[in-house]
Amino acid sequence: MLRIILQIIGVLALLLGLTLLTLRLVYKDADGPSRLFPGGALVSGEMHSGPEPDWSFTDDVFSVELQLLDPLGSRKIFVMESGNKVYVPSGYMRSTLGRLWKDWAFKADEGDGLAVARINGVRYERQLIRIMDPTVIAGVASKLAQKYGGGATPEAITGVEKSVADGDTWIFEMAPRGASQ
Amino acid sequence: MKTKNYLMLCAALSVVWVAGLLLVPPFSNGVEALIHMFLAANAS
Repeated sequence: MLRIILQIIGVLALLLGLTLLTLRLVYKDADGPSRLFPGGALVSGEMHSGPEPDWSFTDDVFSVELQLLDPLGSRKIFVMESGNKVYVPSGYMRSTLGRLWKDWAFKADEGDGLAVARINGVRYERQLIRIMDPTVIAGVASKLAQKYGGGATPEAITGVEKSVADGDTWIFEMAPRGASQ
Repeated sequence: MKTKNYLMLCAALSVVWVAGLLLVPPFSNGVEALIHMFLAANAS
C-alpha cells in the first residue's frame, strides 16, 4: 500500500516538475507572458505616442501585460485607474512564496523601473514608481476593491489600504518615462 | 507495480503530458489555472 502511495506521489511530482519546466521554457522568450509564467519582451503591437490617453478605458480591462527592461521579463497583472493615472499592484510581498513569485516588483523598486505595458494590443512606454502616499492609495484601493475585490465597500477599501501600509501589497504608478525626475 | 513497469508508465505519461502542454492550449491553460489557484490559496 505504501509503495502504491509513493508511486502515485512520484508520478504527481514528475508531472508537476515537467509542467513547470516545460511552460517556463516555452514562455521564457515568448512575446508576452502566460497567466502564470513570465514571458519575454513585448514586441508586437503599436507603440503609443503622443499625449497621455484617458486611462478610464482600463476599467474594462482585467489584466495587462507588463514588461520590465531590466531584468527583461513580462507578466500579466491587474490594472487600476485613479485620477487619470494608471496603477498596477503586487500582492503577497511579505510572504515567502510572494518573494519568489513577485520578484519583478522588488527589481522594479530597486532599479530604474523602466517598463513597457501592453493593453488591448497597444504598447506604452512606462516607468514604474512605487506609491506610498495615503491620499493616492485611497483612490487606488477603491478601484482595486471595486474591480477585483467584489465591491468597493468600506471594509474592502480599508483592507487594501492596510495591506499597502503593512507592506503586503505594493502599488506602482505606470507613469510616463521621466516622470520621477 | 513493478519498478520497470512504473518507470515505463512514467516515461509514457511524461511524453503525453509534455505533448499536451505544448500542443493543446486549453490543456496547458487548465493546468496553469490549477497551479495559480494553489499559489493564490497558499501564498500568504
